[in-house]
Amino acid sequence: MPIKIGQDPFFKRVESGINDRQMQKAVSSAQERFQKRRREATEELGNWEEWRKWGEAIRAHTMRYLDYYLEQLSENVSKAGGHVFFARTAAEANEYIIRVIKSKQATRVVKSKSMMTEEISLNKALEEAGCEVLETDLAEFILQADDHDPPSHIVVPSLHKDREKIREIFARLGYQGSAVPEEMTRFARNYLRKKFLSAEIGITGCNFAVAESGSVVLVTNEGNARLCTTLPKTQITVMGMERLVPTWEELDVLVTLLCRSAVGQKLTTYVTGLTGPRREGEGDGPEEFHLVILDNGRSNILGTEFQSILHCIRCAACINVCPVYRHIGGHAYGSIYPGPVGAVLTPLLAGYDEYKELPYASSLCAACTEVCPVRIPLHELLIEHRRKIAEDEKKAPPGERLAMKGFRLAATSPKLYRLASKAASIMAKPLTEEAKLKTGFGPLKPWLETRDFPAPEQETFREWFQKRRKKGENS
Amino acid sequence: MRVSLFVTCLTDVFFPEVGKAVVEILERLGCEVDFPETQTCCGQPAYNSGYHLETKEVAEHMIETFEPAEYIVTPSGSCAAMFHEYEQLFSGQPDLQARARALANRTYEFTQFLTEILQVDDLGAELHATATYHPSCHMNRLLGVTEAPYRLLENVKGLKLIPLPHAHDCCGFGGTFSVKMNAISSRMVDEKAQHIEETRAGLLIGADCSCLMNIGGRLSRLGKPVKVMHIAQVLNHLRQRGDEKDAD
Amino acid sequence: MTILNRDAFLNKLAERLGRPRMREEIQKPEWDQARLVPPEDRKGCEEWVERLEKQAQLNRTTFFRIPADFLPEAVWKMIKKAGAKTVITWDDVRWNEYGLDPALNAKLEEHRIRLQQWCDEQAAESISLAEQAMIGITFSDLALAESATVMLLNGRGKGRSVSLLPHKYIAIIPRSTIVPRLTHATREIRRRIEKGELLPSCINFISGPSNSADIEMNLVVGVHGPVEVTYIVVDDR
Repeated sequence: MPIKIGQDPFFKRVESGINDRQMQKAVSSAQERFQKRRREATEELGNWEEWRKWGEAIRAHTMRYLDYYLEQLSENVSKAGGHVFFARTAAEANEYIIRVIKSKQATRVVKSKSMMTEEISLNKALEEAGCEVLETDLAEFILQADDHDPPSHIVVPSLHKDREKIREIFARLGYQGSAVPEEMTRFARNYLRKKFLSAEIGITGCNFAVAESGSVVLVTNEGNARLCTTLPKTQITVMGMERLVPTWEELDVLVTLLCRSAVGQKLTTYVTGLTGPRREGEGDGPEEFHLVILDNGRSNILGTEFQSILHCIRCAACINVCPVYRHIGGHAYGSIYPGPVGAVLTPLLAGYDEYKELPYASSLCAACTEVCPVRIPLHELLIEHRRKIAEDEKKAPPGERLAMKGFRLAATSPKLYRLASKAASIMAKPLTEEAKLKTGFGPLKPWLETRDFPAPEQETFREWFQKRRKKGENS
Repeated sequence: MRVSLFVTCLTDVFFPEVGKAVVEILERLGCEVDFPETQTCCGQPAYNSGYHLETKEVAEHMIETFEPAEYIVTPSGSCAAMFHEYEQLFSGQPDLQARARALANRTYEFTQFLTEILQVDDLGAELHATATYHPSCHMNRLLGVTEAPYRLLENVKGLKLIPLPHAHDCCGFGGTFSVKMNAISSRMVDEKAQHIEETRAGLLIGADCSCLMNIGGRLSRLGKPVKVMHIAQVLNHLRQRGDEKDAD
Repeated sequence: MTILNRDAFLNKLAERLGRPRMREEIQKPEWDQARLVPPEDRKGCEEWVERLEKQAQLNRTTFFRIPADFLPEAVWKMIKKAGAKTVITWDDVRWNEYGLDPALNAKLEEHRIRLQQWCDEQAAESISLAEQAMIGITFSDLALAESATVMLLNGRGKGRSVSLLPHKYIAIIPRSTIVPRLTHATREIRRRIEKGELLPSCINFISGPSNSADIEMNLVVGVHGPVEVTYIVVDDR
């Protein structure tokens, strides 16, 4: 599927998220666990803030010389016997991948989790080209079996589903067991193992590529990415162009940050470094290796005030602390990238026309900024989006523009400001019961739907202070 | 020591008692408090909504207003944090940027000023209540003031402070967010209200009137018997005159 | 091998970055924070062994530590206990060096348990045997104490499947290969690169049994990879 998920407009999506108690329960308990594990893992490592700064410096350096490191990467992949395809668009990438698969006369494709391939709707393109595509990450497998339900989280895409729902989905594949996670997982293992053994093509994402050696590094727990890169004869790895590090020294730092931030592990069960296809005389691993490096709108972010969002290593720590995400769930963002990172990234990749509400879906509490392992100032980027929407694109509601002009007028003229604050208390008077506003108009209206509002005091602080000073002068 | 009070617009109009408490405390500690008359708002409503041209004008006005001040003290972590944003707002204008930096360097949130500059932890306050404290996001994360309020509250005689579960979760205010995304904001404040209720505290203390207005507004609508006080009001509840000075 | 569409792609990036393409070599910075990880690795010291053991338990990995002389006997007991009919291993000189051949080999033969060495020439059969085998055994090339991780350099005779397809995986860890953390492994890898070596086609870092928390965040051990993992730390010969 492309970045966009669902057809409903933003507020409709929010409404259905907010009313989905089962999803909220799942998300809220997951967030709690994620947060606890992350906290423990970062504390145990020690000097976490220093590690974060290191990560930030590495990402900033890599972006500054992105063309250089991508060139180095491609040279080294080629030296190791792999093919590299630079794709500017989703269409170019999909077309190339289909061409490779067709040249092998293959149809059976197994995939490990990759947000990049979600972004370019690769599965759909492959199915249209006659391939059988199987997602093998447990969460992705669940979603695929549920009639291609979209992901709601970038690390655990099926976060919004509970065990009972998953049992129902597996029943469609012939599962007759209970809703116990172990039993359902065994079912998926056996079901997918057979598919792995007969698959011709393995497609993976890429957590990091290492420029100095032309390696692709996969960070996983289940082992499906290892199977995808061990059994099929052809491996195709699809990477966002920003997902690389200069050397293994930087890889160490980013993997250290990623595993702790994403799942609170010191290392995930498998960290796999793949350099080219299998060598002459080796018995397993792919005979052919293709690396597809994708732009798909990312280069438009380079050189802008949003460049730091390209530093993202997709750990989802920001999603796991976000209170807005907790209440509306991943699908409400209308994008495969939900949460704070999604609210920043999605409008950049897919435009304001469709996504201009996302930057406002944040109380700017900065919990995201606080946990980001590479110190992306996420809440500041949300404000920057709002600035662009209001000032450059002029897409903010006219009422808001007017209000802000009024605000500027009042807040730069002390006289007018005093007058306005006094007027507030006079105007509010008839609406007041027991010093609480019960009815109101304009922006107060939505507020008052769920909350009381204090009635302005008869005497403002400033009046009190003046009176008091006069008294002091007189006595 | 001369202190210029930046009272903030919300406090000025809706919570003047908070401003009074700040003045009384500072004076009691020997500060000479002045109130620059031309002060308005820190500009955050415009800034957070993306109207940065407008914000700059407001910021310039505030820089001018507080230029003569030795120390600027404000009973809001959020507004204090906004003063710290001015510098980057004026990037490309070195002159204003330098003035903005100087302003930020002299600006303190109220509890920060008490503990860091005046170096007091015990204000001789007394308040017999079971309370819980909500730390505001901006004060906590943007300004980095985390310990000061707890240290001050620990020394309030008779005050029993119950830890607030998920204390660091946002209350859902977020300025225009609370009306623009009312449905989400309401859920967030509901969750906060619930966590407060779980503590069984009869008093909620905070250091930012905006969050307190939000949480208090929800508690009141739900008919919850929880009193809401700004930390300045709590700290101004004096030991010897405790009863007559009930600031609520 | 082919590299397609590179120039147009990279030119655009350079343009967006507001400069011509980077042609001369970039010297990456000396990171200040490199001091966070001490340079010396004190390979195999007691502290690392203990840390590895502690973390292995957290990773749900069974841990044993034995003198080298007992290795064949220890592995034999594990195989017997698991009731394995087929065991697959790497074709690895260390198998002889540590006396597994002949001691263990003989024992297995005696009990009619099939011991299959990975054979690149008959890869299809090896894969199929690995898939059916109850147990896969390899030596580890380096072990990381902090995360209880074994590093495997796969290659000729050392198939990726051996540590992946069987139900149970046993890693034999020579004590002298234990280093503090990932940093020390990546440093070793960089030394190879600096010497101009091509890296192995597949380097695995494995930290216990495969697992997933995708269903309600409940940790389930054993998804696509091995369901059980055992580490045997042996004092070097």
